Amino acid sequence: MSTFQNGMAPIRTMGDDSDVEEEALVNDYKEQVQYEDLDELEPAGLSMAQQTDDIQSRLAQAAQPLDFSAPLEAKFQSYDQYCSLFHFILNSEGPVDLEPPSYYWAWDVIDEFIYQFNSFSSYRARIARQANNEEEIQMLRENPNTWGCYSVLNVLYSLIQRSQISEQLGAMKRNEDPMAVAGDYGSKSLYRMLGYFSIIGLLRVHCLLGDFSLALKTLDDIELNKKAMFARVMAAHFTTYYYVGFSYMMMRRYSDAIRMFSHILIYVSRTKNFQKSAQYDSITKKNEQMYALIAICVAFSPTRLDDTVHTALREKYGDQLLKLQKGGPESLPIFEELFRTACPKFISPVPPNFDDPESNIDPVEHHLSIFMDEVKINMWNPTIKSYLRLYTTMDLNKLAGFLDVKDEELRAWLLVNKQRSKQVRWADNGLLEGELVNVSDLDYAMQGVSYRPVECTFTQADHVSQDLIHVSEAKVGRKLVDWYLRNLSRTYA
Amino acid sequence: MNMNGEDPAERPQEIRNIINGLERYNPEAAGVLEAYLAQQCEEKFCDCNANRALLKLYQLNPDRIKDEAITNILVKALTQFPSPQFDCALHLLSPAQTNPSSKSELSEAVGHLRTLNLQLEGAQYARFWATLDSDDIYADLTTDIAGFEDMIRVRIAQLISQSYREINVSVLENWLGLDGAEEVTKFVVETCGWKVAEGVVQIPKNAENEAKKTEIREDVNIDMFSRVIKRSWEETA
Repeated sequence: MSTFQNGMAPIRTMGDDSDVEEEALVNDYKEQVQYEDLDELEPAGLSMAQQTDDIQSRLAQAAQPLDFSAPLEAKFQSYDQYCSLFHFILNSEGPVDLEPPSYYWAWDVIDEFIYQFNSFSSYRARIARQANNEEEIQMLRENPNTWGCYSVLNVLYSLIQRSQISEQLGAMKRNEDPMAVAGDYGSKSLYRMLGYFSIIGLLRVHCLLGDFSLALKTLDDIELNKKAMFARVMAAHFTTYYYVGFSYMMMRRYSDAIRMFSHILIYVSRTKNFQKSAQYDSITKKNEQMYALIAICVAFSPTRLDDTVHTALREKYGDQLLKLQKGGPESLPIFEELFRTACPKFISPVPPNFDDPESNIDPVEHHLSIFMDEVKINMWNPTIKSYLRLYTTMDLNKLAGFLDVKDEELRAWLLVNKQRSKQVRWADNGLLEGELVNVSDLDYAMQGVSYRPVECTFTQADHVSQDLIHVSEAKVGRKLVDWYLRNLSRTYA
Repeated sequence: MNMNGEDPAERPQEIRNIINGLERYNPEAAGVLEAYLAQQCEEKFCDCNANRALLKLYQLNPDRIKDEAITNILVKALTQFPSPQFDCALHLLSPAQTNPSSKSELSEAVGHLRTLNLQLEGAQYARFWATLDSDDIYADLTTDIAGFEDMIRVRIAQLISQSYREINVSVLENWLGLDGAEEVTKFVVETCGWKVAEGVVQIPKNAENEAKKTEIREDVNIDMFSRVIKRSWEETA
C-alpha cells in the first residue's frame, strides 16, 4: 500500500506525475504473462481428460461470449444456463469440488454474465421503442423476469456472501490470514474468485443503473493497489478503473477521476508490448473512451497530466479538448458528443412499457441530460479564469463590460467558479471518503464597497457602490525530484 | 469529510442496518425509509444516502412509488447546494419521470424542482426567490419540508461568506429573498453575526474570503527515491 499512497496520493501537490506505482505494476504483469506462456507449454493430457467431464464443459461454456446477433431464444436459453450453473454452485449440498479451468475463468464468467444482462436490457428497450416486432414483444412480455435485475443482483450478492470474500479481504487488509475467515466455501479458489469478481460485477451493475455512489461503496473492501487480485486479469483491472473513474466523474470528483483514468492508461501503454493481441484488442475501445472522459474531466478541473497521457490525449482528442477548455455555448455539443461515446450503456432495471413505445426513453439520454445541467452551469468558468489571471484587483463593472454581461450575471459566474474550485478528493480508506480541497491555483474574494464620492455631493444617489475582485494566484514552486531522478537514471544507463 | 447531507449523525441504527446490508433490496423496507424521510422533513436534517436507498427501491419496484416521497427527497437534496446530491437523486429516477414531455404530474413537479436546482447551483439566488414566488406549485412542493426557506437562506449566507469580504445590502436583499434593508440587517446581525455599516455588510475574515497568496511546493519523501536506492544497492552488491 505504501507505494500506492506515495506514488498516487492526492495529498501531494498538484500535477504529481510520479510513476513508481505504474512501473511496479508493469513489472508484476510482465512476470505473470511470462508464467502464463509456460503454463501453455505443459502437456495437454490433463486438460483433455477434464474436457470430457460435463460440468467442466459447462464451466467453460459460461465464460464464452454469446454472439451479439444471437436470436432472442438463445438469449433466454443462455439466461437459463447461467441460472442452473449458479444454482448448482451456490445451492449444492456443501461446496462443489471443482477447480476453475483457469485463473481468469471467474472473471470471464462474471463479465459475460453482466455483459449479457446489459445487452439484453438494451435490446428489450429497443424492441419496445421500435414497436414493430410483434413476435418478440409477445415473448418479452410473457417473460418479464428473464434477465431480471433482481436475479442478477441476487447472483452477485450470493456469490459474495457464500465466498465470505468481504471477510477475507478485511482480514488481508489487517495482515491476517484470510483462510481463517474463509469458511468451507471461501477457502476454495472457485468460490473465492467468483466472489471477488462479483464485487467488481456489482460496481458495474450499480453504475449501469445510475447509482454512482453505491458503485464506489461496493469497492470498500478492495484496495486498489498492485496486490489487488484483479490486477492479474488485465480486463478486470481495466474495467474496474473505467467504472470507478466514471463514477467519480458523475459525482463531480474530477481530480479523483483523472487519477483513476491516468493510472490505467499509463499501465496499458506500458504493457502494450507484451500483451496478447486478442486481449489487447478488446480494451482498445475502452481505452479511447477513457481518453474522452479525461478530456471532459480536465475541462472541468484543469490540471497537469502525465506526459504520456497528455500526448496521447492531444493526438486523439486535441481539437475537442481545445474547445472544451475554452468553454461557452460552443463547448456544449462537444461535451455531449464525448459523453455519448464514452459512457457505459446505461440500462433501466425494469421491463419497458410495451403499450406506450414513445415513453421508453433511452437511459443514456436521461443521464446525459442531468450531466449537461452541470456542464452548462460551469461553462463560463474558463472565461472567468482567463480574465482574472490578468489582474490582482479588478472592478466588477469593468469586467462585466469586457464580457458584455450584466453585473448580476457576472456575480453568479464568479460565485460558481469559486464554489467549484473546491472538490472532495480521496486521501485514504474507502473510495467514497475524501477531503474537501482547493483544486484551483486561482483564488479571489469580492468586496462590494460603497462610498460617498467627494466631487459630486449633489447627486441624488449619494452612495456609489462598486464591487472589487481581489485576485491571488498560487505560485507553483519548481519541481525538482522528477528532474533529478530522470538525470540520475541517465547516468546509470 | 464527504458530500453535504450524506451521512448525518442523526441516522438511527435501524436505518444504518437497512442501507448497509441486503435489507436495502427488500421492498418492505420502503415503508421504514419513507417514515425516516418524513422525520428528516420535520426535524430539518438531511440523509441523502438513506433517501437514495429509497429511490433505488422505487427504481426496482415501480409499483411502490409514492410521488410525494420522490419530490420530498428532491427538495431535501436541493437544500444541500452546491453539491451533487440533487443530481445523484435524479440519476435514480426513471427517464420518463424526468422527461418533461411525459406530461405526468410527477414529471412536471420534477421539472420545476430541477429549475430551482439549476438556479441554486448556478448561484442565481435572486432568480431562485423570484421563481419560488412565481407559482403556487412551489409552495405545494416544499410544504412538507419544515424551515425550507430558512435553510436555503442560511446556506446562501454561508456561501457568500466564503466569497465576499463586504457586500451591499441591496444585493444581499435580493439574494436572500428578503424585503427591505431592515430585514436584511436583522438577518445578518442576528443569524450570521455580521456587522452593517452605511449600507454595506461586513463579513468577518475567514480562510475562504481572504484570497491569500500561496506557494505550492513539492513534497519530497524517501519512497520517491526507492528505485534509485534499490538500484544502486543492487549494482554495488
